[in-house]
Amino acid sequence: MMTQNGFPVVTALIVLPLIAAVALLFMRREWTVRTFTLGVGILECLLCLPLLGYAPDGPAFQFVEQAQWLPALGMTYHMGVDGLSLYMILLTALMLPLCVLGSWTYIAKRVTEFHFCLLLMTSACIGVFAALDFVLFYVFWEAMLVPMYLLIAVWGGPRRRYASIKFFLYTLAGSTLLLAAIVAFRQVGGTFSIPELMEKSYAFKFQVWAFGAMALAFAIKVPMFPFHTWLPAAHVEAPAAGSVLLAAILLKMGTYGFLRFCLPLTPAATETFAPLMIALSIAGIIYGGCIALGQTDIKKLIAYSSVGHMGFVTLGIFLLSTKGVSGAILQMLNHGITTGGLFMMIGLLYERSHSREISDNQGLGKFMPIFMFLFGLFSFSSLAFPGTNSFVGEVLVLIGAFQGNPWIGFAAVPGAMLAAAYMLRLLQRVTWGEPASYKPSWKDLGLREWVTLAPLAALVFYIGLAPALAITTIEPSIERTLAAMRAKNTAMGLTKDMPLAERWLLTGPLAVAGVSDSIRKEHP
Amino acid sequence: MTTLVALMLFFPLAGAVLQAAFSRSLSRAASGTLAALAIAASLAAALAAVWNLGVAPHEITLGQWLAFDGFSANFSILYNRLAGLMTVTVTFVALLIHLYSAIYMREDTSFARYFCYLNLFVFFMLIIALADDLVFLFMGWEGVGFCSFALIGFWHEELPNVDAGRKAFLMTRVGDLGYVAALAIVIAASGSASITGLTAQIDAMPTATATLIGFLFLFAACGKSAQLPLSSWLPDAMAGPTPVSALIHAATMVTAGVYLLMRLEPLLAIAPDVGATAAVIGAATALYGAACAMGQRDVKRILAYSTISQVGYMFLAAGCGDVSGAFFHLQAHAFFKSLLFMVAGIMIQAAHEEHDIFRMGARLRRAMPGLFLLFACGAAALSALPLTSGYFSKGRTLADAIAHPGPAYLLAFILGAVAAFLTAVYVFRLCFVAFFSDPADPARLLSDPELARMERPLWPLAALALGYGFVNPPEFMGLKPWLDVYLAGTVTPLPPNVEHAEFFVEMIDAVLAVSGLLLAWLLYRPARHPVAAPAGALTAGLGLDAFYRTWIAAPYCRLSARLWRGVDEDMLDGAAMGAATGLLTLSRVAARLGSARPSTTLTTLLGAAAALLTWLALRLT
Repeated sequence: MMTQNGFPVVTALIVLPLIAAVALLFMRREWTVRTFTLGVGILECLLCLPLLGYAPDGPAFQFVEQAQWLPALGMTYHMGVDGLSLYMILLTALMLPLCVLGSWTYIAKRVTEFHFCLLLMTSACIGVFAALDFVLFYVFWEAMLVPMYLLIAVWGGPRRRYASIKFFLYTLAGSTLLLAAIVAFRQVGGTFSIPELMEKSYAFKFQVWAFGAMALAFAIKVPMFPFHTWLPAAHVEAPAAGSVLLAAILLKMGTYGFLRFCLPLTPAATETFAPLMIALSIAGIIYGGCIALGQTDIKKLIAYSSVGHMGFVTLGIFLLSTKGVSGAILQMLNHGITTGGLFMMIGLLYERSHSREISDNQGLGKFMPIFMFLFGLFSFSSLAFPGTNSFVGEVLVLIGAFQGNPWIGFAAVPGAMLAAAYMLRLLQRVTWGEPASYKPSWKDLGLREWVTLAPLAALVFYIGLAPALAITTIEPSIERTLAAMRAKNTAMGLTKDMPLAERWLLTGPLAVAGVSDSIRKEHP
Repeated sequence: MTTLVALMLFFPLAGAVLQAAFSRSLSRAASGTLAALAIAASLAAALAAVWNLGVAPHEITLGQWLAFDGFSANFSILYNRLAGLMTVTVTFVALLIHLYSAIYMREDTSFARYFCYLNLFVFFMLIIALADDLVFLFMGWEGVGFCSFALIGFWHEELPNVDAGRKAFLMTRVGDLGYVAALAIVIAASGSASITGLTAQIDAMPTATATLIGFLFLFAACGKSAQLPLSSWLPDAMAGPTPVSALIHAATMVTAGVYLLMRLEPLLAIAPDVGATAAVIGAATALYGAACAMGQRDVKRILAYSTISQVGYMFLAAGCGDVSGAFFHLQAHAFFKSLLFMVAGIMIQAAHEEHDIFRMGARLRRAMPGLFLLFACGAAALSALPLTSGYFSKGRTLADAIAHPGPAYLLAFILGAVAAFLTAVYVFRLCFVAFFSDPADPARLLSDPELARMERPLWPLAALALGYGFVNPPEFMGLKPWLDVYLAGTVTPLPPNVEHAEFFVEMIDAVLAVSGLLLAWLLYRPARHPVAAPAGALTAGLGLDAFYRTWIAAPYCRLSARLWRGVDEDMLDGAAMGAATGLLTLSRVAARLGSARPSTTLTTLLGAAAALLTWLALRLT
C-alpha cells in the first residue's frame, strides 16, 4: 500500500472502529461496553490530530493512500483528504464519543448492539468522506445505511418500523441512480478513480444524465425540497444519538456529494441547472422555516428547521462562487454542531419527561437553568445570532448570493427571519411559562451531560468568533474546484447565455489542459 | 487610546460574565454593587478617552473576525467625537439606572440574572456606539436586541411578558433583514464593510446603489427605533422592569437606529431620497406617537408612545443631514426620558403596581413631593417648555426641517409642529391627572423609605433635563453652541439657514408648548374631575398592531399549518408514498404472472414479444 505520510491515518480512522466493533461482541457487561466505546471514540479523535496538519497550499489531495483492490475491474483502494472533506471527517470523529456519552442512560436495551452500530456508522461515514475511488465511495455510502436503519428500527420510537423503512427505501432509491451514474462514468471515463475522472471533460448530453442521476441521489440525502419527507419521520422516531448522527453527518453526505462529484465531473450540467437548484434551495429555506413554526413535536420542529438550514448550504454550493461555497462548507460544519447539539439536548429532555411534545416540557428555566442556558445557546446559534457559528456561514452565503444576483439574496434573506420566529417560540415555551408536567426528580445537567455538550458549545463560540482559520484552510480547495470547473466549461465552449439546444450539442474534449496539473499534484 | 476603548468594552462584559458565573453565590448587595462598579469603570474609561480625543478620529482594530476571498471583517472601532460623546451618554445614563435598579429590584429573587443582562446590554450598546466594521456593529445590534428580548420577558411566569419580548425581537428582526441585505450589498459592491471604507469610496458609488443601501439601512433603523411602520413592538415592551424601559426602551437602544443613520451620514449625503424619506417617516412617527399617547391610561405606555414620538424628531433631524442636531436631541431625550421612566417606576411601586394614571392623583404628590418635582423637570423638558433642554433640541430639529428646501421637508415640518403641540397636551394630561386629580377609585399608597432612596440617582438627570439645552443654544441667544463646535470637525457643519430659521421656530415652539399646557389644564384640571375616555383607536395605536396580527401573523400561522398538513403530508409525502404503492402493485402483478396458470404466462410472453417486434420493425423501416 502506498501512503503519503508513512502512517495510514485515514485507514486507521476507518479500521479502528471496525476492530473495536468486533471486540465489542466479546464483552458482557454494559458498563464495559460503554467505557470501551467511549475510549475508542476518544482514541479516534486523537487519531484525527494528524489531519490538522493539512496544508492548505499543498497538493490537492493529502494523506493519500493507494492499494490494489480488484485490478480486474479497475477498482482501487484510494483514500485522501482535501479541504472539502477535512472538516467533515473531524466532525464525524468528534460525534462518536459525544454520542456514546449522550446515550449513556438513554439506551438501556441491546447496549452492545447499539454501540456496534455506532462504531460501524463512524467507520462508514469517514469512508464516504475520504474515498477517492467511485466504487469504494459507493460501498461506504451504502454500508452506512444499514447501521442507521438499525439505529432507528431497534432503538426508535413507537412508529420506528415505518420511519426506518421509509428512510431506508427513500435513500436507497436515490442510491441506485448513483450506482447507474458510477457505471456510466466507468464506461465513458474508463476508470473508477475520482481524481482521474476529474481530469476529464465529458459531452454535455452525458453530463446532463449523469448530473440528473447523481443530483437526485444527493438531493434525497440532503434532503432538498421536495424530497425531504423522510427526514421528519426518521428524526422523530430515531433515538437521540441516531438523530445526532443523522443531522450532523448523514445529511452532509448529500451536500458533500454535490461538491465532490457534481461540480468537478459534470461542470457544464451543474452550471446549466444551477438556477433550478438555487430555486429549490430557496424554496426549501422558506418552506422548511414556515412549516417548522407550526410544529408541536420538538424533534419535528428541528427536523424541518434542518430542511431550511440545508437549503442555505445547497444555495451556497450552487452559487458557484468562492464566497458561496466556503459559506456552504462552513454551514455544513455549523449545522452539524448546532443541530447535533440541539438533538442531543432533546434526548436529555426526553430522558426526563418521556415526551417530545413542547407542551409537556414547558417552563423548565426555573428548574434546569444550566440546561436552558445551553439550549438557548444552540437555539440562538440556530437562528444565526452574530458571534455564533451559524452567523458566519449564513452571512458568507448571503454575501455570495447578493454578489451573484441581488434577487437571490433578497429571496433568501427572509429565511433568517423565519428561523428566529420558530426558534424563539420553541425556546420560550420550553424555558418559560407554567411548567406543565415538571417533576422534582428531574435534575439539571449532570457532569456527564455537561461534558457531552461542552465541546459543541465551545465550537459554537470558537467558529463564531474566529472562523478565519477554518476558512483559510478550505479556501484553496474550493478555488481549485471552481477554477477547474470554469476551465472545463470554457474548453467545451460553454457560454453563459447559450440556449439549451446549442448546449445539447456540445461534445467535450476528453482532457483539459491545466485541470489535470492541479489535481495530479497529489501523487507523491 | 486602544487600551481605554478596550477597557470601556471590557468592564461591562466582565461584569456580565461574573454575574452569570457566580449567580448562585452573589448576595443581592454584592450583585448590584458589582454591576454598578463595572459600569462606573466603563464610564471612567469613556470619560478618559474623550478627554484625550482630538479632532482626528482613531481607527482601532482589536482583532480579525473572518477573512475570505479578499474580504475581511474585523473587530474594528471608529472612535471619533460622535462616538466619544455617545459612549459617555450611554455609560452615564446606564450608571444612574444601575444605581436605581439596585433598590428597584430589592424584592426580586433573580437579581443576578437581571444585572447580568443589564451589563451585557451596555457592552453591546457600546459596540454599536464604537464599531467601525458594519459586521461587528451588527453583533452589537443583535446583541442589544437579545438583551431587550430577555429583559422584556424578565418576569417570565406571566406568558404575556414573554410574548411581548418575542414580538419585540421578531419585529426588530424584520428590520434587521434590511441590515443584512444592506451589509451583503455593501460587501459585494465595495469589498469592504467598514464605515471608514464606505466613506472613503463614497464618491465612486453610483447613486442608485447608495440609495438602495440607504433605504435598507433606513428600514433596519426603523425597526430598531420603533418608527413607522415597525413601531408596534415598543408599547408592549413595557412589560419589562421599569429601569429596563428607561435604559433600553427609551435612552439607548431605541436610539441606535438614529445613531446608525448618523454614522452613515456620508452615505445619506449622496442619497437625498433616503434623507427625505427618513425626515418624513420621523415627522409622521412623531405625530403618530404623540396622538397615540393621548389615548393611553398606563403611565408606561404613555411614555413608550412618547419615546416613539421623540425618536421621530431625531429621524427628522438625521434625515435633514443635521447630525449634531439629531445627536443633541438624542442626548437631551436620553436624560429627560430616562428620568421620566424612573419616576414612573417609583410612581408605580408607590401605588402598589398600579399603572393607571387615573387611579393615582394628588395624594401621590402630597406623599412624595420630591418625586413630583423630579417629574415636573422631566415633563417640562419633554413638552419643550422654553429654556429646558427639550425646548432647544426639539426646536433645532424643526428648524432643520423648515430650512431644508423641498415639499417633503415642509410636510415634515408641519407634522412635527402639530406633534409638538400634542406633546405638550399629553405630557400635562399625564401630569395633571396623575399628580393633581382626585380619583374616585384611588390605588392604595405604599409608604416605604426605600422609595425615597430611589429618587436620589435621579437628581442629576433632572438637572440635565432642565439645563442641558445650554450646551447647544441657538445662535440668536448669543451663547456659544458648544456641541456644534465640538462636533464640527467630525460631521458636516450646520448650514447657516438653519441658524436663521431657529429664531422663528423657537418662538413657534414656545407658543405651541405653552398653549398645549393651557389646553391640558382646561381639559384635565382637577376641578373638572377628569375621567378616562373609553378605549378607542388611539389607545390601540391606531390599529397598527391589530393590522399586523390579523394580516401578517395570523395568515402566516395558518399558512404554516396548511403547508404542513396539506402540502407536506398530503402532496409531497403522498407522492412518495404513492410511488411506493405503485411499485408494490406492480410487483404484485408480476408475482401473479409468475404464479399464474402456464397459459397466462405464455400469452403474456408472446404478447410482449409481439409488441417488441412491432416496435423494432417500425423503427428499422
